[in-house]
Amino acid sequence: MRIGLKGAIVAIAVAALAAFLWSRVPPVAGQGEPYRAPRTADGRPDLSGVWQALNTANYDLQAHPARPALAVIPAPPRTAAPGLGRSQPVELPAEDVRALGAVGGVPAGESVVEGNEIPYQPWALAQKKENAEHWLERDPEIRCFMPGVPRATYMPYPFQILQSADAVLFGYEFAGTTRTIHLKEVKNNPAPTWMGLSRGRWEGETLVVDVTDFNDQTWFDRAGNFHSDALHVVERYTRVSPHHLMYEATIEDPKVFTRPWKISMPLYRRFEPAKRILEYKCTEFVEQLLYGRLGVVDPATGQTNK
Amino acid sequence: MRHTNARPIGTFPRTRIVRAGAAIAAIGLIAALVSGCGATENSAADASSGASRWTQPRTAWGEPDLQGVWRYEGAIPFERPAEFEGRELLTDEEVTERDRVEKEQAANRLAGLEGADVGRRSISESPIRGNEYNSFWQDHGRPRKVYKQTSLIVEPRDGRVPYTPDARKAEARAAARYGVGPFESFLDPDTGERCLTDGVTGMMWQGPNGGHNQIVQSPGYVTILHEEYRDRRLIPTDGRPHSNIRQWFGDSVGRWEADTLVVDTINFLDRTNYEWASIWTRPSETLHLVERFTRIDAETLEYKITVEDPTTFSSPWTAVIPISRLADDTRIYEYACHEGNYAMPNLLSAGRAVAAKQRSSN
Repeated sequence: MRIGLKGAIVAIAVAALAAFLWSRVPPVAGQGEPYRAPRTADGRPDLSGVWQALNTANYDLQAHPARPALAVIPAPPRTAAPGLGRSQPVELPAEDVRALGAVGGVPAGESVVEGNEIPYQPWALAQKKENAEHWLERDPEIRCFMPGVPRATYMPYPFQILQSADAVLFGYEFAGTTRTIHLKEVKNNPAPTWMGLSRGRWEGETLVVDVTDFNDQTWFDRAGNFHSDALHVVERYTRVSPHHLMYEATIEDPKVFTRPWKISMPLYRRFEPAKRILEYKCTEFVEQLLYGRLGVVDPATGQTNK
Repeated sequence: MRHTNARPIGTFPRTRIVRAGAAIAAIGLIAALVSGCGATENSAADASSGASRWTQPRTAWGEPDLQGVWRYEGAIPFERPAEFEGRELLTDEEVTERDRVEKEQAANRLAGLEGADVGRRSISESPIRGNEYNSFWQDHGRPRKVYKQTSLIVEPRDGRVPYTPDARKAEARAAARYGVGPFESFLDPDTGERCLTDGVTGMMWQGPNGGHNQIVQSPGYVTILHEEYRDRRLIPTDGRPHSNIRQWFGDSVGRWEADTLVVDTINFLDRTNYEWASIWTRPSETLHLVERFTRIDAETLEYKITVEDPTTFSSPWTAVIPISRLADDTRIYEYACHEGNYAMPNLLSAGRAVAAKQRSSN
């Protein structure tokens, strides 16, 4: 009898807990009231945590089909087999990336660009296509250079948001890059920079970040999308659930584009217990690529360089 | 004159070739210099006189507030010089004289003059080292601060690094190679020239001008941003245990003990195969650091580090470093070292030229 009563109490407790947890399931955006984020000690929306994009924007901001490799070459025409001539050459992985097989393939993906159009000026569109054809030699990501903005947001690495009173830090795992979002007034950078100068302000639930003072060295993705030193990015970070941030960036660059354009995507909380941003000091990972053939000896082979 | 021992603190005796990123960092240094000109000089005595009026600032969530940009500006040698053997503190007279020399040297540097050129005591003859080598990296007009300590190392009591015999040999070898080579491949220059890091052990007080470190606090975290190499430490203070993932910078967890931030770091990656100017700054897997950060007045962060590593040291050693707070509007800047590392191809090309010359002369 006593055991039965205990069992009933446990069952009721479990049911109550389940009902309580169910009631705390976050409302999905567009379903009733907008989500209101928990607040920090100074009353701001709390965006802190480890976040990551889950999309293919770093491969290509625009909609794209799957393809065999990031660097491809056209297969030579078959002349020995009559009737098998091709109007379009088949694209095959370039020699330098061939060994990666399926690991080196590019997954298809939806556009993160509003309207799927990046409004390049004609010369810039030609430049973008050339960049894509020379991806292997040109993408700054390959050389472990700082990724710039907005690319840092949607690289396949997590980043952490840390909120203090006068500043918000974005600590990116890739290349150990950190951005300080200044909430207090700051002077412009004395020189152009890879990650730009970020000035932040709160608009209700949203952290708005105005980013300027860029150099022209970073790209937006592995598809050759690029900008000049006139780049101006306005980012908006809004919590839409306990585990999601909505990210928007308006991109303006009068030297390269005909009008401002916008990307948007959800960011997902990495809520593994005690999730950390780990070290990815990729500079040491690319030294062989950049310098291996330049010294007296190539450390990869032990052979004297010619 | 090159130094065959651990490099003196507050100097930066490295063969540096100006890189694009370095130029940006230099702008940061100049900005810091300009913004820091109005700062009051502190000696240990000045600092203590203001202590009674000072209360520990706190963050909105109640922790001691360590935030700001900090750098070590002292003239204290890392290891105790032979002339002070058996003495842990300078006398007041010695402090006064050293302070005078530091100011004279700073004035000479600012005027672009080497001491000897103006008929005064030359920098190299001075009882305290000036910044004659690689002086590009220094704040020329800003005198270093003089404290009573005769060495940053306070334990062991002799103020010397307790190397194991093997580590002492490795230190001598690294020092002999430093700036000399051979530079056969990218693995030969020190990790600074490779734009990797100077390591976590000296991060709080090494680098140009003692290095600029910005501390940012958020609930559950203390972040330290080191300008040079853009080294960054995200230190959780939320009570989590150590991670079991090895990293070059190890795995740090922090906790507050009264008004002191205590950071415990283990699980370093072995980087003993990489060349360094000072062997004590490179980790082995057995390295264990305990750092204690205490704000002791408005201008000073007392940084105490205990270094334990049976692979390199025969006993643990402890250094106490007074770190100065820079003006409120001081910023650290982007350090795009690797992105602009033109020095590496030049160094390797020079290495090939040397090798070719040697072959032709044989």
